[in-house]
Amino acid sequence: MNQLPTGMYQPGTSVVHQMKANIKIFCFLILTGAVLMAETIWGYAVLVLFSGCLIYFSKIGLQTALSSVRRLIWFLIIIFVMNLCFYGPENPWIKIGIFAPSYEGLMQGVHIAVRVILMMVIGNVLMVTTAPLVLTEGMETLLLPLKLFRIPTEQIAMILSVAMQFIPTLFEEADMIKKAQIARGARFDSKKLLDKAGAVMPLVVPIFLAAFKRADELSLAMEARGYRTDMARGQRKFGMPTGFEWLAIITCSILCILQILCL
Amino acid sequence: MSITLDSVFYTYAPGTPYASAALKNISFTVEKGEFVGIMGKTGCGKSTLIQLIAGLLTPDSGAVLLDGKNINDKNYDRNELHRKVGVVFQHPECQLFETTVERDVAFSLKHFGWSKEKVQSAVERALTMMGFDYEKVREKSPLEFSGGEKRRIAIAGILAAEPEVLILDEPIAGLDPLGREAFLVLVKRLNEAGMTILMISHNADALAEYAERIVILKDGMLFRDGVTREVFSDMDELQKNGIGVSEARQCAALLAERGFDVAKDTICYEDLLKQMIAIGRGQQ
Repeated sequence: MNQLPTGMYQPGTSVVHQMKANIKIFCFLILTGAVLMAETIWGYAVLVLFSGCLIYFSKIGLQTALSSVRRLIWFLIIIFVMNLCFYGPENPWIKIGIFAPSYEGLMQGVHIAVRVILMMVIGNVLMVTTAPLVLTEGMETLLLPLKLFRIPTEQIAMILSVAMQFIPTLFEEADMIKKAQIARGARFDSKKLLDKAGAVMPLVVPIFLAAFKRADELSLAMEARGYRTDMARGQRKFGMPTGFEWLAIITCSILCILQILCL
Repeated sequence: MSITLDSVFYTYAPGTPYASAALKNISFTVEKGEFVGIMGKTGCGKSTLIQLIAGLLTPDSGAVLLDGKNINDKNYDRNELHRKVGVVFQHPECQLFETTVERDVAFSLKHFGWSKEKVQSAVERALTMMGFDYEKVREKSPLEFSGGEKRRIAIAGILAAEPEVLILDEPIAGLDPLGREAFLVLVKRLNEAGMTILMISHNADALAEYAERIVILKDGMLFRDGVTREVFSDMDELQKNGIGVSEARQCAALLAERGFDVAKDTICYEDLLKQMIAIGRGQQ
């Protein structure tokens, strides 16, 4: 595991790092709205510019910010080509069998590709600048209103935070199991599809067994330390937003409203 | 088969805030048939070291050579490497996955192109070596055994390939005293049959008893490399650096402190006992 997984938290001290998690998530949701509302070239231009500022202020580097886009480049190419070829069959440039690339298709393809890239970059900034545990705590406070509808928000938050906490452990365990199987002669880098399918079992079975065992032990350990689902638990107090955070919320909101109203 | 590490450097997660140097300038050679114990505090790079030797990690710089050939060369045969170098990781019981014990133990053999009979006899031999009744266990699921038994099945799966080098990462941690002794005797027997053994352990007693040579790592660097007897003689310096020595060696040091004539290179129980008997006789 010499390469960090995409979207892994990277500690830092930038202004984006320092924002409270609940506010960051809130801004993320507003920005999602803005991206989905964007229609014109100017709308996208503003969003691209804003994402650029976001990357600059978070100081995570272009490389990290774009890592998820790079990972999913084939996905992007495929949705682009699909839209190009199948979207507007009324007046295509050329028709080859079922493929009918058209100007409308091209525009739709660009639209969707740009939206997906923007979402991935903004989401990546959120993930990379926020520790997973803090992220779930932020979600917990945002979920609080759901309590009115008798939705067990605390338990949802607990499930989320336990799941988050164990991602690195499971990752390490999976890495060790993979290495152990390679040392036993398993090949995971074979190009042949049949070999690839066959290589799954030596990984999946031990990883699941280990995960179940760990879950079992963890539930025992939690109960031994007095965890009960029917009792209220302490929560992180995020407090009021700071000046910068108000600025962030307002900027994001203006962006979103601008997209709806004029662009 | 000889193993050579030539000024090997290795860094985890380079280019990120998590980057940390795991190994710095490691060079040593292990000749065929040696029994080498590897010691060091948690996080000193022991596990990284064995993963480099097993070809599971690639060094940043420097080379890992098996019989003089660089294992990270493009045209080095990886299958050959995994056949010749067997690795028993910590908690090997976690790697079991097949439906029957026989299939699991035979897992590594199916890449060799051996005949059915040869595979079966190798599996039988390995399971017998690990103390199982082959006919009784072959059709059972490996997952229905106890923790200790699972570990022995997993190790059988590695020994079945008849590796020339056996690397063990904390193989005796968590075993009961009888199981520990039996396992160490088995490893020694494999070693006497010509297998090169590299064993990571915190158990200085076991290493004093069985290993001929000790390599100690400290903060990713080679701290000691020498004959077990000589390395353990230097008890004070080792303990200052957080590395334990065998109980027999500590006992000898206590006796020497009280004025008894006990040699500094007393590292295993047999040595200690002989000298104590001699002292007792002398006093009579």
